[in-house]
Amino acid sequence: MPKVKINDIEVEVPAGTNMIEAAAVAGVDIPHYCYHPNLSVAGNCRMCLVDIVGGRAPEIACNMQARDGLAIRTDTPAVKKMRQSVMEFMLVNHPLDCPICDQSGECRLQDYYMEHGDYDSRGVEEKVSKKKRQDIGDKIVLDAERCVECSRCVRFGDEVTGTGDLRLMNRGDHTEIGMFPGERLQHHYQGNLADICPVGALTNRDFRFQRRVWYLKQTASICSGCATGCNIQVCHQEGEVFRYLPRRNDAVNKSWMCDEGREQVAGISGLKRILRSRVDGKTVDTEAALIALAARLKSATHVGVVLGSQATNEANWALLQTVRKNLKSARIFVTAGNDPGSFEYADKLLVDTDKNPNSAGVDLLAAFDGQVESWEAFGSAVADLDLLLVLEDDVVGRLAGRRTAAAIAYLGVSRNATSEAGSIVVPVCHPVEMDGSYVNRQGRVQRIRRAVNAAGDALPAWLIVDRLGAKLGVAPGTGMVAAAFNSMARAVPQMRGLEFKTLSEAGQQLIVETAPVAPTEATV
Amino acid sequence: MDFPRILSGNWELENSHKLDVARSCGTYGRVQKALAMPPVELIQIVKDSGLRGRGGAGFPTGMKWSFVPSAEKRGNKPVYLLCNADESEPGTFKDRYCMWKDPHLMIEGMIIAAHAIGCKVGYVYIRGEFRYIYDRLWEAVHEARAAGLLGENILGTGVDFQLHIHLGAGAYICGEETALISSLEGFKGQPKLKPPFPAVEGAWHAPTIVNNVETLAAVPWIIEHGAAAYKAIGTEKSPGTKLFSCSGHIRKPGVYEIPLGYPMRDLINVECGGLLPGRTLKAVIPGGSSVPIMTPDEVARCNMDYESINTLAGSYLGSGGMIVMDDTTDLVAALTNLLRFYAHESCGQCTPCREGCGWMYHILCRVRDNCATAEDLVTLKDLADNIHSKTICFFGASAAMPVQSFLLKFKGEFLARIEAASKGLPAGSHVSPASLSVVGA
Repeated sequence: MPKVKINDIEVEVPAGTNMIEAAAVAGVDIPHYCYHPNLSVAGNCRMCLVDIVGGRAPEIACNMQARDGLAIRTDTPAVKKMRQSVMEFMLVNHPLDCPICDQSGECRLQDYYMEHGDYDSRGVEEKVSKKKRQDIGDKIVLDAERCVECSRCVRFGDEVTGTGDLRLMNRGDHTEIGMFPGERLQHHYQGNLADICPVGALTNRDFRFQRRVWYLKQTASICSGCATGCNIQVCHQEGEVFRYLPRRNDAVNKSWMCDEGREQVAGISGLKRILRSRVDGKTVDTEAALIALAARLKSATHVGVVLGSQATNEANWALLQTVRKNLKSARIFVTAGNDPGSFEYADKLLVDTDKNPNSAGVDLLAAFDGQVESWEAFGSAVADLDLLLVLEDDVVGRLAGRRTAAAIAYLGVSRNATSEAGSIVVPVCHPVEMDGSYVNRQGRVQRIRRAVNAAGDALPAWLIVDRLGAKLGVAPGTGMVAAAFNSMARAVPQMRGLEFKTLSEAGQQLIVETAPVAPTEATV
Repeated sequence: MDFPRILSGNWELENSHKLDVARSCGTYGRVQKALAMPPVELIQIVKDSGLRGRGGAGFPTGMKWSFVPSAEKRGNKPVYLLCNADESEPGTFKDRYCMWKDPHLMIEGMIIAAHAIGCKVGYVYIRGEFRYIYDRLWEAVHEARAAGLLGENILGTGVDFQLHIHLGAGAYICGEETALISSLEGFKGQPKLKPPFPAVEGAWHAPTIVNNVETLAAVPWIIEHGAAAYKAIGTEKSPGTKLFSCSGHIRKPGVYEIPLGYPMRDLINVECGGLLPGRTLKAVIPGGSSVPIMTPDEVARCNMDYESINTLAGSYLGSGGMIVMDDTTDLVAALTNLLRFYAHESCGQCTPCREGCGWMYHILCRVRDNCATAEDLVTLKDLADNIHSKTICFFGASAAMPVQSFLLKFKGEFLARIEAASKGLPAGSHVSPASLSVVGA
């Protein structure tokens, strides 16, 4: 691996690494607009110009590959002046409308001006005006005046979605980003355009003007929209979630996520949330509901339990343990398919046809148990069951009108056909309200993290099941999420060696028999 | 002055663009010999001749050709030869004469060059404004094809070469070789990042050589007479002859072929017939609008070759587009006009050039219109410095160099303009005759 020097700091990086990334390894930040780690190099913003030690002219770091002996400097007066002048050029025709711009607070023009600009304005010429507030797609609003023509969005359309929709029109300081006449963005990855836009030119229609970004806290988590398990940041303030942003993980979603995934935010505080426990139509506290549930499970002859492909590994593990330890005759099933009402879109890039975030995790646990029965077996057995305990999945909805069990107990997040049919209903936390883990379609175990407090009486499912176990006789010892994960990791061979607290933000690839599905650069 | 007119020898003949006239002058007479030679030998001859690119940069042609990766290294990728006929540098109009008067000479040069670099398909990228020449070039190609000089198995040698003429859409930047490639590929004409260089990865990601019209037209003579004969003309580092497009305040504007190293003042006084009566020389832009301007003093010292102009005047021979300006010239207006061009033609890719060219133009407009201050000149100079060599291609420097050189060599005129404006004097009263002159009226 080549050794390079950045401001005399020597680092060893893989061959082919560009000098922006190499500098980051050395702890030196090289400012940039057009460079994006998951897009091709355009080299046109000129913000990353650096001096090469012994070189003749400054060069851009983004297009400079690490080679042995290469030494660059980012702290010379020349570099300082170059950055300052690029900032000056960027801003000379910029409207400077920060007070009404939604990008404020996460704008590279603001950030870099404070860090590298900081000059007295010489801009006395009339600014070039361009088209503002353009409706270019269902998710995106374009303000061409704020654009710095970095071409990230153009390259995103060319290289990621393959739609080639955004283009730089005209020349010189009249260069303007735009769509072809009469066209609108059609793809399902529009939100990413707002994310990669370093300035306020492309903003997200759903998030615009909802909250100033500096109020938002970010919690690293996983999207629960489908089996892909895109890594996300949950952006929230005072218990309210405002948006999901993709979190870079080149093994899963690179820097992207789909628009349907972002729309999952609406479900967190939606009107369909189950907020209180209910037994036979009466609202009760969760403790009372669990006592009633335990009693009915004990007295029932034919008990069926359905693991939840939308529930965490910890919840499923807790349920598996509780049932096996306390209800010897109960039959356990897995579900298949998607809940009615879940979005239908799927593609080869990120959006899976399986809309459940933890199908692979449930399959792993079912295989470990060995006795768990299939969805088909469930279909023929369900009518004969006295009591059916369902974890999160809308089993009744998925049965699509076929006869179900005599009685249903439902542990779930939102109201659906199963909760309506349930005689006992217990509210479960939304994924942003609890800790846990999912296994995605590639067989990668990834952590979700609690960002906000639970709505109503909702509790994490692993905790609910642990309390239920105590009432049935033997608690599975899953009263703490880490304990639940660790006991599972000790037992399940594919997870052996993993520990909850050391599970990294990038997740951990498990050794699974199914071929891992890597995200491809397919046309959407 | 005794020298062979390598490039313009046939221009005065009637129907010089026709194949039979061209052949009667010896054009295509070198093809048989060249195609029988091994490519490495051809490259060596051109290397030895010292022929340099006539588009403006003056890069050694033979060396450029040798950068094409060997057949083993490039695998099954083809090699492309592109003729840069997008002559758009203000003040330059030599290639249009080459193509209009003697298109077959250029085509012969391309056949030989293609064989040297292993190319089977070549393109002439001609600027959109040369619509009339475009038709003539296709005519020439059809004539040559019918005579077995283009296409498959040229003159029975087993060498194939197809030639296409591609009309640009009229953007100055498409004369930059990587922008030319982008445009030829069907994309917006914008320069590409280097590396990779076109010789390694150019058009459609295949090795590509881009040569100027005049460069290619010089190749047949070199093959016929040998490297030594070519090197005997001109100076040691700038051998051969070159076409100069002479315009401005001279009596006989036009295209002149002269050996490199020829004194600049002789070119102005003898070939161009001197200045208009009663005028004195104020300044000369020697190589197209992008190169730094020269004072009469520098004109007196310099010869028309790459080294002399560079070392003695800090300017460049460039494309050989010489613009002569006499004492009636308003240099403020001249520079403003140049910057109007650059602000309009900047492709808009790199930040400094995109925003800076328009900014410099607006400042110059204010100087011209008598509403600027001396501080604006400081800003102007600073902006030019901040653009020069900070961009992907050479356009930024091309726009910056006129500003830098005008302000360095003629700052007095700009300051006088500003001062006159501040005193409310009428526009134009600042123009003073140049103190030095080399050319008698």
